[in-house]
Amino acid sequence: MTTLEIGRPTAPAPTSTQSSAGRGGALRWGALGRPVLRVLRSAVVVWIPVVLLSTFITFGLGALTDTNPAAQVLGETATPADIDRMNHYFGLDRPFLVQYFSWLGHAVTGDLGRSYYTTLPVTDSITQALPVNVSITIVALLIAILAGGALGIGAALSGGGWFDRGVTMLCSAASTVPPFVIGIGLIVLFSVTLPILPSGGYVPISQDFGQWLRFAILPALALAVEAAVAIARQLRTSLVGELRENYVVGAEVRGLTRRRVVFGHALRNASGPAVTVLGYYVPQVIGAMVVAEAVFNLPGLGKLSLDAAAKGDIPVIQGVLVTMIALVVLSNLLVNAALLRLTPHAKRREQ
Amino acid sequence: MSDTGGQLRQALRLRSARISLGILAVVIFLGFAGGLLAPHDPLAQDTAHTLSGPSGEHWLGTDYLGRDVLSRLMDATGRSIVGALEAVAVAFVIGVPAGLASVFFGRFFDWVSQRIVDSVMTMPYIIFAVSVTGVLGNGLAQAMLAIGIFLAPLLFRVTLAAALSLTRAQYVEVAELLGASRWWIIRRHVWSKVLPTIAVTTAQLAAAVLLVVSSLTFLGIGVKPPAPTWGGMLSSDLGFLSQQPWAPILPAVAIAFTAGALNAIADAIRDTTGLESVPTARGLFRRRPAYAAGPATEPDGATRAQPVAIPAQEESSHA
Repeated sequence: MTTLEIGRPTAPAPTSTQSSAGRGGALRWGALGRPVLRVLRSAVVVWIPVVLLSTFITFGLGALTDTNPAAQVLGETATPADIDRMNHYFGLDRPFLVQYFSWLGHAVTGDLGRSYYTTLPVTDSITQALPVNVSITIVALLIAILAGGALGIGAALSGGGWFDRGVTMLCSAASTVPPFVIGIGLIVLFSVTLPILPSGGYVPISQDFGQWLRFAILPALALAVEAAVAIARQLRTSLVGELRENYVVGAEVRGLTRRRVVFGHALRNASGPAVTVLGYYVPQVIGAMVVAEAVFNLPGLGKLSLDAAAKGDIPVIQGVLVTMIALVVLSNLLVNAALLRLTPHAKRREQ
Repeated sequence: MSDTGGQLRQALRLRSARISLGILAVVIFLGFAGGLLAPHDPLAQDTAHTLSGPSGEHWLGTDYLGRDVLSRLMDATGRSIVGALEAVAVAFVIGVPAGLASVFFGRFFDWVSQRIVDSVMTMPYIIFAVSVTGVLGNGLAQAMLAIGIFLAPLLFRVTLAAALSLTRAQYVEVAELLGASRWWIIRRHVWSKVLPTIAVTTAQLAAAVLLVVSSLTFLGIGVKPPAPTWGGMLSSDLGFLSQQPWAPILPAVAIAFTAGALNAIADAIRDTTGLESVPTARGLFRRRPAYAAGPATEPDGATRAQPVAIPAQEESSHA
């Protein structure tokens, strides 16, 4: 067990000598290699079972239903021969496990099957809807990081002052209101009372960036509030804690400006827990987006899934669910990688 | 047990807890009797007075079909909280016994349960609930069963963490040495100490689930359209914001007050029992960053001599 940079918590990561010396390969990757490998290994150990289990659950649910999808889709006028033909077309006449593994095998290659109703490839519908979710989620997370960071730092520095109390109150108020209610409030504010932004709809980012931003900003704001508040709360707590540490006192004694102490030293150490909070809220934002799509009338994955759920279009439901899980897994990996880069704490604890 | 019961009673003597209990009592009362007490039929349409403001006849105004908003709010109460209760009950029944049990089972059980927890927590649960209703048919019971299964890991983790810190207490070790059975120790020593923690988490969970239920009913999942729910009322108000921009406030306040009361009770219990390190329902995940998922699987013999000791260390390192 080696300890890394305990004496100098602010030193950048690649100064560790043990791993680069041990490998003798590319120096930069040697230094970074072990943590990155660990993240990747945890990805394999944790996420592959996750994907298998969750797809199996949802696939199993479909098999549990006693209704025959073909009979439902074709309606009451369908003859038994029609139903058999459709069952054969979608492979529904095969045993359950065969269906699952064949679906899984195709899913790995990006083929999520075809809709029962339109017989269009599910992958196509998803690639159409996905940019809506991804772009708005990214804007929401950016807002959450900026606003949450600013509020948290401000509250920590004003420790106990009116700003601090205000942020704390705002935080507890926001945690009892669901994001879609915030969305409705934003529509009332910015579309009805002050008609400056559209209340719903969407323009693709590739078509017109300015228009896209006008349509994206309200949903993104509504989604950002919860995460921003959580980040602010966590950042305030950990920053107040860091500012009491000995190294902060030491830095002040050495005559460093307050600004340098906070932004150069304390903030970096305090941001680790805040990034972890962010990592927890990324899936929340991705999930809340489903409801935000209904509020703001966005053509995203949630609408796709709701429409499919209303009809019982199981391949589409499955496809959206798997895409969502993939998004969550991907964002989780990114957050973990960021965490490793950002905080020496993370590395120390891991050993 | 009497000790913990006293602490819980003490918590409920706080003013914030009393106000919250009052709010919850009203909500529960309305949940049972709201439909009967409502001044108007919540479904009766008065087409002559659509979208009217508050008046003597309709205290909180009418909606787009001329239905009395106050009656709809009261009638919606039961439907809105029953789903949340179902989900919390499912999560409790699955999560708490499993959490208590896994303290005393070996490393393998610990590992397997942790993997299940990890996988279940990955899915955004609203989309999962939508999928479940899409496959099993549109009903609140199905959706809430799905949500309950989803939240069980949360209670599992809280219970496990709280119980683990106790298994190293001296009196538990002494009891073990004296030959007490595991179940006796759980009943006699662990359960009463873990109870406040579980109470805090359950209250917070109920608040969070209430928000999920309102999101789902907002999406039109779980309840057939004419029957009012708080979420469903928000959804129908959305179409008439230019005429009645204030209308969504009423169901939103009903949701926020109920959720806020549950959170306040959780805070009161936490403050009086001195559970400084109790993870909040929302903060639970952040106490155990995802990279910590790694060490549990690592064959690190030196520090893993005692299977129960490791997760306790892991918890304390992030506390």
